[in-house]
Amino acid sequence: MTDVLLKLEQVSYRYPDGTNALSGCSLVIRQGKRTVVLGANGAGKTTMFLHLNGILRPSAGQVFYGGVPLDYSRSGIRELRSRIGLVFQNPDSQLFSASVREDVSFGPMNLGLEKRIVGERVAAALHAVRMTECADKPVHNLSYGQKKRVCIAGVLAMQPGLIVLDEPMSGLDAAMQRELLAVLERLHADGMTVVIATHDLDFAYEWADDAIVLQKGKLLAQGTAAVLLQQTEVQAELGASPVIADIAASLALTGMAVRDKGYLPRSRRELLAAISAFHRQESDR
Amino acid sequence: MWQGNRVLTEQSAYSNRWRRVTPFAKGWFSLCGMVAAFAAASPRSALLVALILCAVTILGAGVPPLRYLRVAAPAFLFLLASGLSLALSLDFGGTAGGASLHLATAELPRLAQICCRSLACLTALLFLTLTTPLADIISLMRRCRVPDTLLDLMTLCYRTLFVLSETVHDTITAQSARLGYAGLRLSLRSLGGLVANLTVHVWQRSQALHLAALARNNDGALSFLETVYPHSPRTISIAAVAGCLMIALSVKLP
Repeated sequence: MTDVLLKLEQVSYRYPDGTNALSGCSLVIRQGKRTVVLGANGAGKTTMFLHLNGILRPSAGQVFYGGVPLDYSRSGIRELRSRIGLVFQNPDSQLFSASVREDVSFGPMNLGLEKRIVGERVAAALHAVRMTECADKPVHNLSYGQKKRVCIAGVLAMQPGLIVLDEPMSGLDAAMQRELLAVLERLHADGMTVVIATHDLDFAYEWADDAIVLQKGKLLAQGTAAVLLQQTEVQAELGASPVIADIAASLALTGMAVRDKGYLPRSRRELLAAISAFHRQESDR
Repeated sequence: MWQGNRVLTEQSAYSNRWRRVTPFAKGWFSLCGMVAAFAAASPRSALLVALILCAVTILGAGVPPLRYLRVAAPAFLFLLASGLSLALSLDFGGTAGGASLHLATAELPRLAQICCRSLACLTALLFLTLTTPLADIISLMRRCRVPDTLLDLMTLCYRTLFVLSETVHDTITAQSARLGYAGLRLSLRSLGGLVANLTVHVWQRSQALHLAALARNNDGALSFLETVYPHSPRTISIAAVAGCLMIALSVKLP
């Protein structure tokens, strides 16, 4: 595959307390795609993410970026971290500064850019997450969802080609989730590769191009999300299945043609549209 | 009390009339206030300096008087207690064998001078903290070449204060919900649990912050883009002249 951006090859990692978080994990992340990483708690998702931008170094195996093994020298790591942005789950664990604007400037300042350029990047990143009006607010006065968006802005200001988000929807209400999703969609439309760890199978089924399923530090399955999430083995590991896929499959069994060009609907909207279309066809007959 | 004060200080710092005035001007005026406090020839002139600073904060910056008093109250009380402890002394060597309270009459003028100076210094600091958010004060200190390590510590402490006070609040609520503070013995036990929990929490939080800093390419000092205030020679000149006048007044006033 020529569009492989990142590749893990037989990567193992053991924490100092003896926990084997990854053991012989191999997977790829494709350029320009929306990828979800799924797996039970403790499956190794966060540890895998920490390998992507060189915070952790594999005990065994290798990580490749653009086909080249990661360079763990100071300059190599610097380069890598400017290309791969990592947004952690808890916003309070990654916001340093008192004010929003200052915090977003932290990454680009670390890149050693000119202050004028940093200022421009900060403004653009805050605009991208629709937080410009909160730029001068103190971080502790923001809502949880706003804090998450500031975290994303802080990574965007470094202008990475790949953004990795660890369970970005957790703790957000439905409206905030929609807002965050809109932000991610805009980023993806602008050509950014987006990787998200999530437990929400319905979201994964609707949103993702690719899916990676981890099981006890190993790759269980990887492939097209819509196909993978209908596999019995994957559903058994995750302990659930996408509701829309289940309903569509049941309807298909009853003879209701909800398949469009061979694909089952992936969202509630698509499913409702397919049902309406089916009824229209029936009544036209 | 402490948490309430912190929130009140924050509210003032972010909502006062002089929020957008360059911190350099406010810092200079506050410094002049402290110099005036030390230069004051008499308790009366130190008191006048305190009054001027208080009036400037309330009337000039528009900090509500009640909020000012609530923020200042703990410090004022502390000053009062210190003053009383210096003025009064307990004597156990009395003829009747009991303790007696003595007023250090000879030291009273000196004591008045110290208390009034402290009061003036206090109002000078209150002027700065109630009109300027800490982020701006830190950026001002950075320009004044205060060592980076100290400023990084200030930044992290300030940010962490809010995170940890939330954790403390949540833990106490959870403990209370399970009758953790239903008696003295239980309260002490819960308090111990709270401290132990918080210690682990601080350690985990510092690990997480370290990872987050690494992920954003940090390899040393924490550097941020400082807020740029419109360079206003006029504001700085006004602050400088007013500050110098205050010093002159405190020196000249008998």
